[in-house]
Amino acid sequence: MFLNRILRSPAEVAEQCRSDRDVASIARTALVTLAVAAMAFGAAVGSWRGGKQIAFAALKMPIAILGTLAIAAPAFYVLAAIFGRPWALRPVLALVLSAGARFALVLLALTPPLWLTVDFGAPYALVKVAATIGYGLAGLAGLEVLIRALGKGPGRSLTVGLFIAVFLLIGGQNAWVLRPYLGTPGDPEVTLFTRKREGGLVVQLLKAVGGERSAPAPAAPAPAEAP
Amino acid sequence: MSLRDFFALYALVGLACAIAVFRRTRGPGAVVSAMVTVPLWPLWAPFALAPPRARGEQALAGAVAAVADTPMSAIFTERTASRIAAEVARVASRLASLNALAEQGSFDRAASAIRIAELARSGASDRAVATARLQHDSRVRLAELRAADARALDELADLLEALRTQLLLARYEGSPSGDASAIVSEVWARLEGLGAVVDPGAAGGPGAAGGGGAR
Repeated sequence: MFLNRILRSPAEVAEQCRSDRDVASIARTALVTLAVAAMAFGAAVGSWRGGKQIAFAALKMPIAILGTLAIAAPAFYVLAAIFGRPWALRPVLALVLSAGARFALVLLALTPPLWLTVDFGAPYALVKVAATIGYGLAGLAGLEVLIRALGKGPGRSLTVGLFIAVFLLIGGQNAWVLRPYLGTPGDPEVTLFTRKREGGLVVQLLKAVGGERSAPAPAAPAPAEAP
Repeated sequence: MSLRDFFALYALVGLACAIAVFRRTRGPGAVVSAMVTVPLWPLWAPFALAPPRARGEQALAGAVAAVADTPMSAIFTERTASRIAAEVARVASRLASLNALAEQGSFDRAASAIRIAELARSGASDRAVATARLQHDSRVRLAELRAADARALDELADLLEALRTQLLLARYEGSPSGDASAIVSEVWARLEGLGAVVDPGAAGGPGAAGGGGAR
């Protein structure tokens, strides 16, 4: 019932969270939804390489998403308070988790198309872009819950903008630490984590801005390992 | 601080929260809730460690669930439910304050009565006895207010449980929305009455604040 409402009436759910009503049940459902949807999406991403990578990506995707939410949610609490919405912690966490549940449901809906893209033999770059687009669309769907909860009034854009920045930074670093999800192209060995020491996300961004060349163009997985 | 230090610290806090959650939670879900708390304490611990919901709050959540996806959801809206919840919270908060005062001994009517008797026996001045009487009367009134608030909260919970049952009945009987509207109007009328008991200064509170919009 909550999942239906978060898709169809995010404003109602936002109102419920803000009034701190039945929020434990919302949190419970949202956490389970996030874990299940992220596992499915992770498995679809990992299917590009196939084999053990499916299990690895299915395991790491929920860790990356829930870990990001766990670190970023308090930031939303603080930002909302600074910019004129001094809500209690529990309603704010319920809001963030509701947004996460909406994000997860969209991610789950986009899992079959992504898997089909992989199954049709799409190359590494295309699958990467498709997964990123899916993630972005799901993120926009989740963001709507937070925007509606903030309501109209001063400080809304700043709160949302700063939270997006914080979320992307934490999410990017988490995803970077837990990589690879698709599998390292050209590397015959499937590992849970990459063994290369390349610094954090910020180092990589600075390198990219500095014009340093990244790794050579990736090769497709060996036919035997392909899904 | 390295990533390893950060994870160690995170896990340590998670373990402490998990122990607190396990000790607080009752029933078969305690172990699962504690296990989830270890990795997800920033997201789950505030919910798992929250005090159990009051009877009124539970009934209100049930009423909201009863009207979901029915034509009655347009009459008993989230906004209406939020206003009722605010009213319940107002009464509960006032009662909590009075309970806190009681714990400090501010309602000890026996002590103030003994003090009056002692002053009378010792031949204290009329002014001293009058002051002691004033103190005693104030304590009696505080105790009465506390009892009235507790009764009001109980009545509110009863009313909300009745509302939940009526909405469930309407849901499964498929009553027309006019009946549901009458039920909600009755809730607001009762809330106005309770508002007068709890806070005479805000007698029109629930109705004036939200009743009109809900009807």
